[in-house]
Amino acid sequence: MNQLQTKARVKQLIAGAMAVALIAGCSSGSSESAETSTGPLVVYSGRSEALVAELFSQFTTQTGIKLEVRYADSGELAALLITEGDASPADVYFSQDAGALGAVEDAGLLSTLPSDITNLVDSRFRSTQDRWVATSGRARVAVYNPELVSVVPNTIDDILNPMWKGKIGFAPTNASWQSFVTALRVIRGEAEAEQWLTAFKANEPVPYEKNGAVRDAVNIGEVSLGLVNHYYLYEKIAAEGADAVVAKNHYFINGDVGGLINVAGVGVLESSKNTNAANQLVKFLLSVQGQEYFGLKTFEYPLAAGVAPFSELPTIEELNPPAIDLSNLKSLAETQELLAKTGLLTK
Amino acid sequence: MTLSLSIRDVSHHYGDRLVLDSVNLDVPQRSITAIIGPSGVGKTTLLRLIGGFEAPDKGRIEVEGEVVAENSRLIIPPQSRGVTIVPQDGALFSHLTVGGNVAFGLKNRRSTAARARVTEVLEIVGLAQYEKHRPSQLSGGMQQRVALARALAPHPRVVLLDEPFAALDAGLREQVRDETVRALRATNATAIWVTHDQEEALSTADQVAVMLGGRMQQIANPATLYQYPISQHVAEFVGDVFVIAGTSVGAGNHVQCALGDAVPIANACPAGPVNIVVRPEQLTIVPEGAVGSVPVQIVGSKFFGHDGVIEGTLSTGERVVIRLQADQLPQVGSRVGVTTRGMLLAYTD
Amino acid sequence: MSSRTRAPFALVAPALVASVLSLVPVWYLFQTAFTSGFAAVVDELFQSRTLQLVLRSLLLMVTVTSASVVIGVFAAWVVARSPLRPRLLLIIAFSLSLAIPSYLAAFAWVSWIPGISGFLGAFIVLTFVCYPFVMLPVIASMDISDPMSEKVALSLGRTPFGVFRTVTLGQSRPAITGGALLVALYVLSDFGAVAAMRYEVFTWVIYGAYRAGFNPSRAAILSTVLLMAALVLTLIEARVRSTRDTFRLGSGVRRATNIQFGIPARIATITGAVLLVALGAGVPIWRAIYWTGFDSSNQVQWDVVISSIATSFGIGIVTSVVTALVALPIALLSARYRGRASQILEGSTYVAHALPGIVIAISIVYLGIRTLRPLYQEMPLLILAQVLIFLPLAVASMRSAIAMSTQSLEHVARSLGAGSMMTLLRVTIPLALPGIMAAGALSMLSSVKELPATLLLRPTGTETLATQIWKFSSVSDYASVGPFALAMILLAVVPVAVLTATTRHGVAR
Repeated sequence: MNQLQTKARVKQLIAGAMAVALIAGCSSGSSESAETSTGPLVVYSGRSEALVAELFSQFTTQTGIKLEVRYADSGELAALLITEGDASPADVYFSQDAGALGAVEDAGLLSTLPSDITNLVDSRFRSTQDRWVATSGRARVAVYNPELVSVVPNTIDDILNPMWKGKIGFAPTNASWQSFVTALRVIRGEAEAEQWLTAFKANEPVPYEKNGAVRDAVNIGEVSLGLVNHYYLYEKIAAEGADAVVAKNHYFINGDVGGLINVAGVGVLESSKNTNAANQLVKFLLSVQGQEYFGLKTFEYPLAAGVAPFSELPTIEELNPPAIDLSNLKSLAETQELLAKTGLLTK
Repeated sequence: MTLSLSIRDVSHHYGDRLVLDSVNLDVPQRSITAIIGPSGVGKTTLLRLIGGFEAPDKGRIEVEGEVVAENSRLIIPPQSRGVTIVPQDGALFSHLTVGGNVAFGLKNRRSTAARARVTEVLEIVGLAQYEKHRPSQLSGGMQQRVALARALAPHPRVVLLDEPFAALDAGLREQVRDETVRALRATNATAIWVTHDQEEALSTADQVAVMLGGRMQQIANPATLYQYPISQHVAEFVGDVFVIAGTSVGAGNHVQCALGDAVPIANACPAGPVNIVVRPEQLTIVPEGAVGSVPVQIVGSKFFGHDGVIEGTLSTGERVVIRLQADQLPQVGSRVGVTTRGMLLAYTD
Repeated sequence: MSSRTRAPFALVAPALVASVLSLVPVWYLFQTAFTSGFAAVVDELFQSRTLQLVLRSLLLMVTVTSASVVIGVFAAWVVARSPLRPRLLLIIAFSLSLAIPSYLAAFAWVSWIPGISGFLGAFIVLTFVCYPFVMLPVIASMDISDPMSEKVALSLGRTPFGVFRTVTLGQSRPAITGGALLVALYVLSDFGAVAAMRYEVFTWVIYGAYRAGFNPSRAAILSTVLLMAALVLTLIEARVRSTRDTFRLGSGVRRATNIQFGIPARIATITGAVLLVALGAGVPIWRAIYWTGFDSSNQVQWDVVISSIATSFGIGIVTSVVTALVALPIALLSARYRGRASQILEGSTYVAHALPGIVIAISIVYLGIRTLRPLYQEMPLLILAQVLIFLPLAVASMRSAIAMSTQSLEHVARSLGAGSMMTLLRVTIPLALPGIMAAGALSMLSSVKELPATLLLRPTGTETLATQIWKFSSVSDYASVGPFALAMILLAVVPVAVLTATTRHGVAR
């Protein structure tokens, strides 16, 4: 008579179904697992896709080695590599700056590069332990507007002169500017670096969002002088034609810290099971083809011996950049603290 | 007599508060039992225990002889007891149609048998043509009838109705109540009906259980309950009464009071002072000074249409209430004689 | 339900699994933080700069949360109570700003008004991104509460504003506090807006530890501060809620009506609504169109845009479905089986919400590389990370929906022979469907704009709208960013429409 007799079984059924669904949900899509030893070469690239994708595809065309490239911020990739440790799927780490390479090297994750690679690059532009090499360089310059400036400062101390008050543009969050400040700290020591930054702040520099904006502000005369990387000027000339660009680059020479050369660089992971192919990629980046690519595409300095920079640039020898172990640029955290302390980083 | 429900010595606490105190109740099959009592007395708690939404701290509950809960143990969960509920607000499922609501408790809801049952039950409550409607398209009274149909559809062992008409207005309430009783009788259902409306209970139930202060005071058929309430409190709760002082005399079958020197009482009382409980219809008006009457001064009158009540004072100053036919109401300020009819009730506190 | 009623195992088991997964980032953080020793942790945390930045974060959190509550309640009131129509359009317009990643919104503002950067800019951008977290649950609670009580209050001589303040707000309080908690946690964890606005807060040092210090363990140590803050906020909210949670009384079926308004009130309402949409969604959309520069010779690669939309949509759908499924048991337990244990379960899912995306991503890397190697940098792990990030959004949205349906409905279902699981499936869940759909829609919106976890955990070569925007904005190519930003906003209309279509389930108007 009673339709309401127990439905307790239903409960167990549902429980079972949910458990199955959970397991299925967790394991679906796991069919293909990467075979690191025979699969494509895995590259973690802190350099942007817009910049390097074309060069990578040239490499694949020439060698037949397929690349799997993961693009992200250089620092986050370094953190990723350090967290992954020995289990990392990455074979090659291509970084926007030397500091991140230094951190991965310190974690013992980079392998020693063969001498036929390291010999291609001047010792200033590779790790002291030969675990990474620079692939291109960016010189710090003062971009200036010749219509407003007659005497260009020769050193970073010259720009502390009150005549530049309110006339200097800079990009406080830009990594290259922060690398310059790191170099300042490393070369002159914390106290003097702080002193310089305090004086710089007192000269009321104008902050911009990006280096490109600093350059544009100089070009239209909003400010007279800007502290940027050398290639921003050439990018603008390439995009808008030489006639549209008034601004000029001034290089800090004679080892002044203002003329720091920052590098992008590459290393091969110790855990890579594909070292040969990885070394081949590094070699390709340092080849004439690779170096000219950076020279033409980004107007950066080629750093492999025997490749001349873009014609309008002074040579590295002429620049005579300050002597610094680029791995030491990894103390960026302290730099940011100092910038914050001197009121140059944030509002 | 087969019992559908048996409650044995059930006690229950909420925190430190004893809500149910050794409650006993037997409900015969195919009967309607009304549980009445003032609000907050534990009626709804009792329904929750019967329904299985909680286990009683102490005692035992049996449904058709099967122990469903005992001493803090929930032996049979609500869904397996065959005890359905009609809550105060109807609690229709707003995401289902009327038909979907009624079919909710049926097995194989899409089967022909289930569909036929839905139609059958909806016909019993007079809503067959609303099967495809949404609950939000129905009036409050109709919603309540759907809730009843839903509870009756799966042939429950017991149906629990928790003040099912409290939210309806007076005119509608009576109509829906009558339809509900008819539907319960038509389906041979066993029902437990919680209400605080004693008139509703007396007019519809086969037996009425009076709860006061967490205890079951008296369980009896309506007539017995009305005529022989076991305590002054029960008497006061069931029907209208007024109370005067008196003394139990003789063998305890009569009392002496302002209404007479030897008025018969229904319940034997030990000799001594007693409270005498009188129902308004137990007094009759006679001309002042008539034999066996006592004088009453009329001080107030209420007219209800079909009848009325007058209020008066006795020679002792005690208050009396008399129910009369509407055309017999004496003037306020006049004096009348009053005699008693039937047996009064007397209690020693 | 009485504490004596045991929650069904089929509910407790998946909730426990979800809770354990939610605690993966916490486990990772402590694991990593203490590798360098307890002294290092103390040393790192007790620096004056840490305290100063925590205070700045708290300032931003308090101001943005307050403003979001005010704006969110206003927007909800416009949707649920004002005579402005159509409702669908209003909800979509008011929710669009939620679809815009904070870094993009911030850049839109700062590229328009450079002077706005700093506290003001961060405050504005975060408020507009966050107020829908308050608005959406409040709309749901206003829909479900009885407008009759507002009419009663009017008849008792209260002014319309007085009615709003005392009755409407009072009934929506649990929804407001729940939304405010989500806003507060979001603000604590945000880096995109504060970075673009150059307003230095606590997440700066965490990102700094990754991007500038290349030091994950330092980042882990610093993140424990956010964990503590999240814990405190969650406890505060739980306390407020436990004294305020309202179960709807009265009949199981409701009828809604609107309060009539005069012309000045109408004008003020319209002005407010237009301003809100113009500033919240209008500014970023206008900037995105401006960047795209449709009138110039700029070539938009529509095929890439479309394939990115497809990828984002696919990940978003799967993430939202899984998030909803994972959140449901927790929300059901929390709403129906209240007690210490269910509170802890629910709270555990909130804690991770105060962590920046990068920290959760790195913690999933830590887990994945060790224990789920075959899934590493595959879709399931990316979706797992996103599910963890969005779980609190889903739980909050579902819990309030479930709590608002009356319990007598469940008792009826039980009495009719449905077991506790069947009751959930046949009654509780269908009735809470608006909340469940809203939870899915919120997860989908958040998934489409999620960046840090996607960058690190996506299968190589997978491009979502967010990664495309990142790719081009990182080289300042805003002409290319424009179309992807517009596509992202357009894609957001889908979940918002779902959300809207379901928020009125069962309401007769």
